[in-house]
Amino acid sequence: MSEKQEKDIVEGDAQNIDIQEVDGFRFHRGSALSIFGSDRREDMMALLLALLIALGVYLLVP
Amino acid sequence: MVYTHRHPATLIMGAIFLLIGLATGSGLLDGLIQYLHAQKYVGEMVWLGYIFGVAGIVVGAWHLWGTHEEGDLDYYLSTVAGALFILLVALLIRWYVAPWVAVISKAMGPVMGDKPIHKVLGLNYVVLGILAGILITNTIGVPQWARNGVRLSRLGLKTGVILLGTLYSFAELAQLGKLSVVLIGVFVLGSVGLVLLFGRLRGLPNTMTGVLSAGMGVCGVSATVAAAPVVKARPVDIAYTIGTILIWGVGCMFLFPIIGHVLDMGHVQFGAWAGTGILNSAQVAGAALAYQPDGIETLKVAEIFNITRVLFLPIIVLWLALWFVKREEGAEKVNIGQVVIQKFPLFVLGFILMFALSSTGVFAPPQHYKGKYFDNNIPESKLLKPEEAAVLKSEIDAVRAKKPEYVGALERLVENRKIMSREDDAMIRGLNNAKVMSKQANKLLKKAHKAVRHTAKKIKKFRQWITLLFAFGLTGLGMQITIAAIRQAGGQPLVVGGIVGTLKAVLSLIVIILFVHETI
Repeated sequence: MSEKQEKDIVEGDAQNIDIQEVDGFRFHRGSALSIFGSDRREDMMALLLALLIALGVYLLVP
Repeated sequence: MVYTHRHPATLIMGAIFLLIGLATGSGLLDGLIQYLHAQKYVGEMVWLGYIFGVAGIVVGAWHLWGTHEEGDLDYYLSTVAGALFILLVALLIRWYVAPWVAVISKAMGPVMGDKPIHKVLGLNYVVLGILAGILITNTIGVPQWARNGVRLSRLGLKTGVILLGTLYSFAELAQLGKLSVVLIGVFVLGSVGLVLLFGRLRGLPNTMTGVLSAGMGVCGVSATVAAAPVVKARPVDIAYTIGTILIWGVGCMFLFPIIGHVLDMGHVQFGAWAGTGILNSAQVAGAALAYQPDGIETLKVAEIFNITRVLFLPIIVLWLALWFVKREEGAEKVNIGQVVIQKFPLFVLGFILMFALSSTGVFAPPQHYKGKYFDNNIPESKLLKPEEAAVLKSEIDAVRAKKPEYVGALERLVENRKIMSREDDAMIRGLNNAKVMSKQANKLLKKAHKAVRHTAKKIKKFRQWITLLFAFGLTGLGMQITIAAIRQAGGQPLVVGGIVGTLKAVLSLIVIILFVHETI
């Protein structure tokens, strides 16, 4: 990460007190394994995605 | 905090995808595709190349030249870089590397029955994807611009597990014998319990023990992925479990047929044993075919046992949710209702929902299994011609002399010029594998089988999606596994997996020899 990007991140960040760092990667939402805040939210997104795929397959594949 | 990196990577990856789509569509890659025997991927290369190419170029341009401020738009759009990075690695492996490994492996000749080394070792795009992810993260490292998107891999795996439900149906499961359900139930639940016990005794972390128990108990990769979030498994736990299952399966593929022949087991007995003791579906099929290369009775029984294991997936996930809460929170009494409401993963309910939908016949006739179904209401043009039926008729006596069990199905085929039932279809496939008829007759048997065996296009499309999602998820998962994490995990998971796997194989062998005869 360049110095400028580092500076942008710190200065542009309103929630930097919650920043976590794992293996050099910094984030303030989700966890090291997921961009979502909770497992339930990730499950909901997976369910939504699966339903959208199923609907697409149902409507588009003869 | 701002997540988007002003970096040309997304744009470049978009351009690579687009080039693959264009080059494949225009026939420029025909020579390479032919050499790799990768013709079945041509459709994917073109349409996925265009879709990901356009998406990469549009989002990449935004990453480079847009204005980025902290917020949802920045957070979610920044994941596109990492997602494309995983997809590029996963799809290059699926389209080019895995077929190349297969070409080299086949050139080396068969090592077990007619199986080349890559089939025996299970070196498919999934395993190669995990290995590539591990290699990347431990050599060049996952680039900073891709880090946020790599955290999408678990979403891909969960979506894939939900869609797995579309491959099965109640009608198929209804055909299972009660004994197979009881046998599988005892060994699935018993294996899970044993891993939980040994994991505690050997001091494994709860996350590793939980996910290993699902993998050793149910059916390999899918169960591992489904159970992982419930026990908050780390990527290294999942990779270790998949590795243990595959290594165990390779050993079983060699040993099971030898033991089966030494004990002179019947086809049904061996199929039941392979379907119970070996965890990976492909390896179950490999062992069954190695045991009976000239028929499919063993394979069919092994497949039935394989399907039955899936039934127990939701039960295992619930059990692990309760176990994990108890172990992690040290609770004396666990409120089952509360755990179900708070911890039971919605995506496993999604799997059940898709299974129910698939059983109604929305996607394929309700009796399908993995999209394949029997239907002999076929037009006149698909029937065997009278002269073709005569060829088969002329060889009935030869079949009667060598394999009399197939004569009934063959006679019905000759008389009706089409296969008359699912059972006859299995017999005709077995007869074809037995190679007791002439080449011409065998071709006709294949033709008759193909005429009544149909593949549902919708389920085929679901399989493509599941493959894509698993390739994406597992390659991304590999990118989260460092050598330090593997060292920290040590060799204990392999030891626990080996002990439980051996116990399961030995006990199931004893039970099957005692209670299973020629019918299930």
